[in-house]
Amino acid sequence: MTPTARWLARRLALSVLVVVGAATVAFGALQIVPGDPVHVMMGGAAPSPEVYQQTRHELGYDRPLPVRYGRFLGQLLRGDLGRSYQLHRPVAEVIGSQLWPTVQLALAAFGLAFVAAAALAVATAGRRSGWRRLSSAAELVMISTPGFWVGVLLLTAFSFRLQLFPVAGGDSLEGIVLPAVTLALGLIGVFAQVMREGLERALEQPFVLSARARGTGETAVRLRHALRHALIPMVTLAGWIVGTLLGGAVLVETIFSREGLGRITATAIAGRDLPLVTGVAVVAATIFTLLNIAVDLLYRVIDPRMKEVIR
Amino acid sequence: MNTRFQGGGRRTRAVRRTTGLVAVLALAGVTAAACGGADNAAGTPATDATPVAGGKLTYATIQEPGCLDPGYDPSTVTGVINRNIFDSLVSQTATGETKPWLATSWTVSPDGRTYRFSLRDGVRFHDGSVFDATAVKATFDHAVDPATKSLYAGALLSAYQETRVIDPRTAEVVLERPDATFLQSVGTPSLGIQSPDSLRRSAEELCTRPVGSGAFTFVSWTKNRDLVLAKNTAYQWAPDAASHDGPAYLDGITFQFISDDTARFGALTSGQVQVVNNAPAANIRTLKANNSLQYLRADSPGLAFSLLLNPTREPLSDVRVRRALLRAVNLDELVTSVYFGEYRRAWSLLSPTTIGYDRSLEGTWKVDQALANRLLDEAGWRERDGDGFRTKDGKRLTVVWRTGAQLDRDSRGVVAQGVQADARKVGIDLQYVSEDVGTFSQHIFAADLDVWGGSYQRPDGDILRFAFASDQGITKGGGNLFGLNDPTLDRLLNEASTTTDTAVRTRNWAEAQQYIIDNALAVPLTVGANLVGASDRVHGLRFEQSSNLAFFDTWLDPTR
Repeated sequence: MTPTARWLARRLALSVLVVVGAATVAFGALQIVPGDPVHVMMGGAAPSPEVYQQTRHELGYDRPLPVRYGRFLGQLLRGDLGRSYQLHRPVAEVIGSQLWPTVQLALAAFGLAFVAAAALAVATAGRRSGWRRLSSAAELVMISTPGFWVGVLLLTAFSFRLQLFPVAGGDSLEGIVLPAVTLALGLIGVFAQVMREGLERALEQPFVLSARARGTGETAVRLRHALRHALIPMVTLAGWIVGTLLGGAVLVETIFSREGLGRITATAIAGRDLPLVTGVAVVAATIFTLLNIAVDLLYRVIDPRMKEVIR
Repeated sequence: MNTRFQGGGRRTRAVRRTTGLVAVLALAGVTAAACGGADNAAGTPATDATPVAGGKLTYATIQEPGCLDPGYDPSTVTGVINRNIFDSLVSQTATGETKPWLATSWTVSPDGRTYRFSLRDGVRFHDGSVFDATAVKATFDHAVDPATKSLYAGALLSAYQETRVIDPRTAEVVLERPDATFLQSVGTPSLGIQSPDSLRRSAEELCTRPVGSGAFTFVSWTKNRDLVLAKNTAYQWAPDAASHDGPAYLDGITFQFISDDTARFGALTSGQVQVVNNAPAANIRTLKANNSLQYLRADSPGLAFSLLLNPTREPLSDVRVRRALLRAVNLDELVTSVYFGEYRRAWSLLSPTTIGYDRSLEGTWKVDQALANRLLDEAGWRERDGDGFRTKDGKRLTVVWRTGAQLDRDSRGVVAQGVQADARKVGIDLQYVSEDVGTFSQHIFAADLDVWGGSYQRPDGDILRFAFASDQGITKGGGNLFGLNDPTLDRLLNEASTTTDTAVRTRNWAEAQQYIIDNALAVPLTVGANLVGASDRVHGLRFEQSSNLAFFDTWLDPTR
């Protein structure tokens, strides 16, 4: 077994523990919050005693906590996420159908933010011009503006006034523009700052000097040589980016009436839909751990020195 | 002697344009959507134009159903959608009169416990199966089956014993006790008749693919986005309460779920949808000023948004303190400023469009803070503490108003703050506390609330029994949150629910409303309303008595 394969096997085994841990935390959190979960799940309706007992039994709340936890773990290890109480559908199916719209939105937003931020960073890094100050100020505004407000502004301008895009466009191409821009605006600021920082550091390296000495133009130096180095911190940010995209999706999906995981999760938490909440936690934890493994693997490719460090 | 109701012949109703308004407080998360009569306030523009079939309508609504099984889900929006998919045995006019629908006639036994329905011939469900008495039995049995876990329909049938299939065209429903509201309940979408074949499917199927016999068939439902219905071209069994026979005019209806107020209203003004509900009160002026839009409203029947006072706990156990709170609130000013005149203030616990509303209470308890101060002095709350609140034996006069975050909709939190400010003027420390739903429900089930603020949408005065009768405790599925045991209210409300004599019912409900104000068991606050905005292309948009929108008679003007 090569060291890399051994490392990968160990990381994968550990990630199973992480996922089980995340599921346990989600399970535990929903046990601790106050109130009778059965009443909360019924949305405040006053059920008859028979209906109450029936629901309680079906959800397993008539059994002691350790038994419930054991059953929950057993199901989880068998890959069974259970059935959503509110939606009356298997959790795996719900997540399966809602995951793609959210991924679509996240990818579109990431792509937009990345391109815009790279352009800003390349254009302004290391230049003490007014443009750079303007760009920095704009980035700060973008980071600090709440997404729900940006969303409403964009809707007012581009949907209500100019009628270029629909208020609720479903999964059509026009439908994704405004939500993706809203989500991207919050990211551009961070991306641009990180990339500019990386670019500036790269521009001080001797290889840049030698490239310039060869007569390479400034734009080519930046794009072909320095930018690649500036991207390494972005890989490090991957976990944070995924978290921000998923979290931001809750707001954006609500304002633009999109289907997706974010909104489903928010509703599930409010309604104590335990199977769905734990299901989302498991899926999210899986994505995060796999992503982190991929990032670490990528480091070993990008920077061979890391092979010695990460074992 | 049997009382007999006979369905009249089907008049030529194509021209009888009802301008009835139905407004539904569609936000009402859990408050049930009962359908029924309504006040004929406004409606779509009274044109003499002849309805034109064709076109699809998009309706943007704030709420989304959780499940489309009418026997399970309690929410208003589910009722509005299901009204198009499911037919009921009886229909209700905008004023709450009961008319034939899938039942052509019915008789009630002298003891009020047996209803015999004669069923219409030739009705087919969307799955092709034939409607007969077994469908009635299957639907009602499904609603009361504990396995259904019904959150509303089961409660409507609380007196239900069984359905007997006499022959395919005759069904007999037997009740355990007389229930004056039974026919009203049967007419709601919650008891819409389902195909018996479809009821054999799983709960998941029932929730996501409803099969009825209604004027529209279910096409698709994309969670968080929209729900699409298409015209049932074979439809020939319109309710007697509708304005025309035959299939619906619209080719289809799309319910778009847009929860954000700005986005929903913008979708209407930019022409992307034709109808919206819950038009924000602040935008109504824009709506009225726009010539290509129309504004429709209807008050919701049932329990007005009110503050119920708990007379079993200090300090509200003293009727003088309760009366002081009732008279301290300057409602006229408060409601006008919060809702720009679009909502009315309440004078009774029942809203004006509720069957059994007692108009005589109007104007009888105007704000009188001098009286409130006098009452509190008499009750012994004479001292004042450093913050200006009244005290007695060193204790501050404090009332805690707990609420769940999900109840704070429709600017109710702002109304609550106004009530709080007025209470302060007479020295009452009214604390408005917003809690998460779990903590709030804990307090409800521990029965330790000082007050409860909320509303229930129901067609008639029987909602008072739900909220006040001693056998309607919260653990029994009722709404008597404080565990009240008031013999006067019990007598009035229980008699009203079992008598077949309408006059007795009306009198008892009126007496109960007066009793509640006389004893200050509640501070009625505002009358909820369904505020609807629509494009001027839309005609024949009707409100049911429940204030829910009905689309059967709706048509789109192709010339605009």
